[in-house]
Amino acid sequence: MKNKIFLAMLASISVFAVGCGSSNTTKELAAPSTEVSKDIPGWTVNNDPTDLSWYVNFSWFTTPWGNDIVSQKITEETGVNVNFIIPAGNEAEKLNTMIASDTLPDLLTLGWWEGQIPEMIDAGMIYALDELAELYDPYFFEVADEARLGWYTSQDGHVYQYPNSSYSPEDYEKYDNIASNQTFLVRKDMYEALGSPDMSTPEGFIDTLRKAKEMFPTVNNQPLIPLGLHEFNDAGNVSLDLFLQNFLAIPFEDEDGNLYDRMTDPEYVAWLKMFREATAEGLLANDVFIDARSQMEEKQAQGRYFAMLYQRTDMATQQQILFNNDPDSIYVAIDGPKNSSGDDHTLPGVGIQGWTVTLISKNCDDPERAIQFMSYFMSEHGQRMIKVGVEGEMYEMVNGQPVLHKEVQELLDSDRAAYDRKYGAEDTFWMMQDLPMQQQWTEASKEPFLQLEEWAAQYTIFNSQYDGLNPALGSAEEVIALKVSTLWGNTLPALLLAKDEAEFDAIFEKYVNDRDALGYDKLLAVQQELLEENKEKLGFK
Amino acid sequence: MSTVSKPAPKASFGERLKKQKYLQMMVWPGIIWMFIFNYIPMSGIIIAFKDYKITGTMWGAPWAGLSHFKEFLTDPSFMNIMQNTLGISLLKLCIAFPLPILFALLVNEVRSARYKKSIQTISYLPHFISWVVLGGLLITWLSDTGMINEVLVMTGILKEPIAFLADPKYFWWVAVISDTWKELGWSAIIYIAAISGIDQQMYEAAAIDGATKMQKIWHITLPAIKGTIAVMFILAVAGMLNSNFDQIFILNNVLNAEASEVIDTYVYKMGMRSGRYSYATAIGLFKSVVAMILLVIANFITKKLQGRSLF
Amino acid sequence: MKRTKGEIWFDRFNNVLMFVICFITLYPIWYIIVNSFNDGNDAMLGGIFWWPRVFSTENYEAVFQNEGLMKAFGITIARTFVGTVTNVFFTAMVAYPLSKSHLIGRKWFLGMGTVTMFFSGGLIPSFLLYKNLGLLDTFWVYILPALFNFFNLIIFVNFFKEIPASLEESAAIDGANDWTIFLKIILPLSRPVLATIALFTGVYHWNDYFAGVIFINNPDLQPVQTFLYRIVAESGSNQMMAAATNVTQTTTSASIKLATMVITTIPILCVYPFLQKYFEKGIMIGAVKE
Repeated sequence: MKNKIFLAMLASISVFAVGCGSSNTTKELAAPSTEVSKDIPGWTVNNDPTDLSWYVNFSWFTTPWGNDIVSQKITEETGVNVNFIIPAGNEAEKLNTMIASDTLPDLLTLGWWEGQIPEMIDAGMIYALDELAELYDPYFFEVADEARLGWYTSQDGHVYQYPNSSYSPEDYEKYDNIASNQTFLVRKDMYEALGSPDMSTPEGFIDTLRKAKEMFPTVNNQPLIPLGLHEFNDAGNVSLDLFLQNFLAIPFEDEDGNLYDRMTDPEYVAWLKMFREATAEGLLANDVFIDARSQMEEKQAQGRYFAMLYQRTDMATQQQILFNNDPDSIYVAIDGPKNSSGDDHTLPGVGIQGWTVTLISKNCDDPERAIQFMSYFMSEHGQRMIKVGVEGEMYEMVNGQPVLHKEVQELLDSDRAAYDRKYGAEDTFWMMQDLPMQQQWTEASKEPFLQLEEWAAQYTIFNSQYDGLNPALGSAEEVIALKVSTLWGNTLPALLLAKDEAEFDAIFEKYVNDRDALGYDKLLAVQQELLEENKEKLGFK
Repeated sequence: MSTVSKPAPKASFGERLKKQKYLQMMVWPGIIWMFIFNYIPMSGIIIAFKDYKITGTMWGAPWAGLSHFKEFLTDPSFMNIMQNTLGISLLKLCIAFPLPILFALLVNEVRSARYKKSIQTISYLPHFISWVVLGGLLITWLSDTGMINEVLVMTGILKEPIAFLADPKYFWWVAVISDTWKELGWSAIIYIAAISGIDQQMYEAAAIDGATKMQKIWHITLPAIKGTIAVMFILAVAGMLNSNFDQIFILNNVLNAEASEVIDTYVYKMGMRSGRYSYATAIGLFKSVVAMILLVIANFITKKLQGRSLF
Repeated sequence: MKRTKGEIWFDRFNNVLMFVICFITLYPIWYIIVNSFNDGNDAMLGGIFWWPRVFSTENYEAVFQNEGLMKAFGITIARTFVGTVTNVFFTAMVAYPLSKSHLIGRKWFLGMGTVTMFFSGGLIPSFLLYKNLGLLDTFWVYILPALFNFFNLIIFVNFFKEIPASLEESAAIDGANDWTIFLKIILPLSRPVLATIALFTGVYHWNDYFAGVIFINNPDLQPVQTFLYRIVAESGSNQMMAAATNVTQTTTSASIKLATMVITTIPILCVYPFLQKYFEKGIMIGAVKE
């Protein structure tokens, strides 16, 4: 008896508590408050004070709105005051909770690869930007980039998201300084002392590592680590799978346009076997398998690695420390692993997807102001504002080029965090940064970074079409994809630690079989479809 | 009115209730609180049997039956994960559980009051260091060129340095010892508090009878904190499937993975990271059911052994 | 009283052992303090064990320069105080009747509570509940969900059971009801356990950053832990970020993280000696004699 009452009570109250999850009511859009035209930016007519909440899905973004000159100026010009909502802990947790409880704020900025984006769009939680622009701010279409709109057009013909940092194939033709992040780095002084040997063949590679270890057994009384990599994780090691395959110029698709299995490419497997040998000889030190990023950064700053397959921007701080201590001890980029025909590396740069996308949620009470606010950022005026700041207060135009005031430049060079809080330009607010447009105001890099950038630029290619071939969240194929990548994450270290080549071959064969057993062909079929879609959007057919 | 002495068994239910109306009035706010803040959200467990998506509602999600449980129990790594989870927990039960009791007893025997206070304050400090920072230090110190190897080789305990985190066979010990080290003083607080509740007259009487220090500890202190020990033991047994996620997560790596993958890290990988809430909830439910069973067993055993139990 | 030889040796051994334990537990703290007072870039090179190599207070300045910090400290102190007092009193109040074996429904109540220690619906149902109760973005989201704790209740119940029944009986004869007995007799006798639970609860409130992350959007309501977490938050392993930015993001140095830890731990240190006097012996005995 007691039991039944209790259960009934539980059930009824649960409905009250959990029943009111997401409500996907379709809202009628209100009529525009002012007359609209594509020639007049909406924000110039409509700038009464208002508040917009803006969720940014990156816990490290800590700059508040309204303390610095740039955000104050933007609020003055548009009337919009921003309340940033930043997850302090796990980003996915915060975002998922907001989605599940229907408490999304007005604007959202998150990485384009996040699986929640298509889910939110499918569930009708996001405004179509093109509809809002049509109704409230046709000027949006004047400042939006055609290629980006095309890429982000959903199957229903609407655009729900707009990217930052996006480069189109045309941009790649226009600018020759677009540089990939993926680099092969060696310590300058050691490499030169070894006589700058060739490291593009497996034999040359392992031989150079051996000689480096022999000639420089220790650095500051600590053992030298011949080769550094990114961290190993559940999905493998980007240095040894993705990057290495790019260095070897292994294609993504065959001549018939079918996705190519890069993992089983003989050139790649041959290089992995060399890395197994290197591991057996102690050239891949324990540290490489154990260290988390902070230990790696410490060792980079000490110059403990002889060579590294590493993202150059991830070691910029450490490079600067080395440069300040001894300009000869820095890392320089050289040609790394090449395939047997010696083809150029094919290193991907940032593509059409860009980095993050910004969306307007249907919880936004004033979508009119939100879309106008986005157009503001996308315009040349807005880009100049977030890149160089306020003319007269922070810089002067000299011969058509902005020249920063001395105190501004000094703070920028010495204390970036303080600069962000005081001035707030140089893409402090990067959520809508348009890097190709900002090129005109961007200064060239300086050493010790210039060489890395120039080296990478010569091998950088556009291959956005192969990015984001991820099956829909929650689909059976997505689970397969997760399991396949976990399988590889377990296999890769086993391959490297194999006693001999026979064991290596056995492990590799087991990997291929297990992968097929997980339903790899189903995953491949979905990925192939996604690839076709991507190519169509880019007009590559 | 006598609420304290046991009421006569013949008193009717209504009479008994009336006699303890104040007691009932004190206990009910707690019941209501638990109902609202624990039991209502608990209905979310239902998604363990469904295919829940965050953009939908929990009630509207399609039923999935026991498929999530089946997936977990038939996962090829299931046995390995259980072995590691239970292995580390059992070691903790043997080492990390009794040591704080021993520590509390020894602190209690320190004669200088100031020294005693300082020890208590210092010993519980490491509790406040986060595992993210401590884990980073441990990775450096436990490496083959790290401080701990240097000390061990110097003192002759080891002949060759050992890369403790590079070999699965050391991982359980690393996890248990570093956890004990961090939480020793903090876990002892509850026993120190219990010891301080003991009647001093009993010690004085024992001293007059010529009892030695060991006898006093054995016959007075330990029996007096027996109840606390029993409760903590039952809870520790019930928590066997839980691991210290932050610690394991930062100390594990591809080389020790076969000894360091536990249920909690697996849930994080397969569930939370990819937003598979239903799957994660199913594993959580599995853990809870096992914990309840363990609790009942441990409760039964302690009751048999020393007449103490949770209820 | 004369000590035997064995006892003297035991005391010596014990003192030394305690010293060793203090040393090995204190060293990591020392390490953190030393590194937090060292220049961040220099600390990256490692190798600082006993004393700062390049002394600097910059890490602390960076933390204290933040405008909202004092406000956040205010919130933390408020929630720690209110949260601890309410939790300890409320939990003790519910626990007292449960220490009486003749309480009607006792088994049910304890069983119901035990279930809550093991089963929870997870984050999203709780979030929806708080949303429906109107707790989101209010101060009470720190207090109400943490008002009661079943684990603490068990400790209370066990302690209350040990209190000699004679004390309560004599009060009952004087005509006191159970509520008065609880307030006037039980609580004053329970100081060691009250201090212990207050410490546990206070430390929880002081260290909790999660509620501030998930349930609070208003920066004015953030507790210090959430606030500081934000200062030291790192990009983590998010490689996509670096892939797309030409500007290097300002990553906060590990030293600032250490300084943050020192700042948040010190207030807790000051509380413990204050509570320690309740752990001293003889409280119970004094009460019985009265």
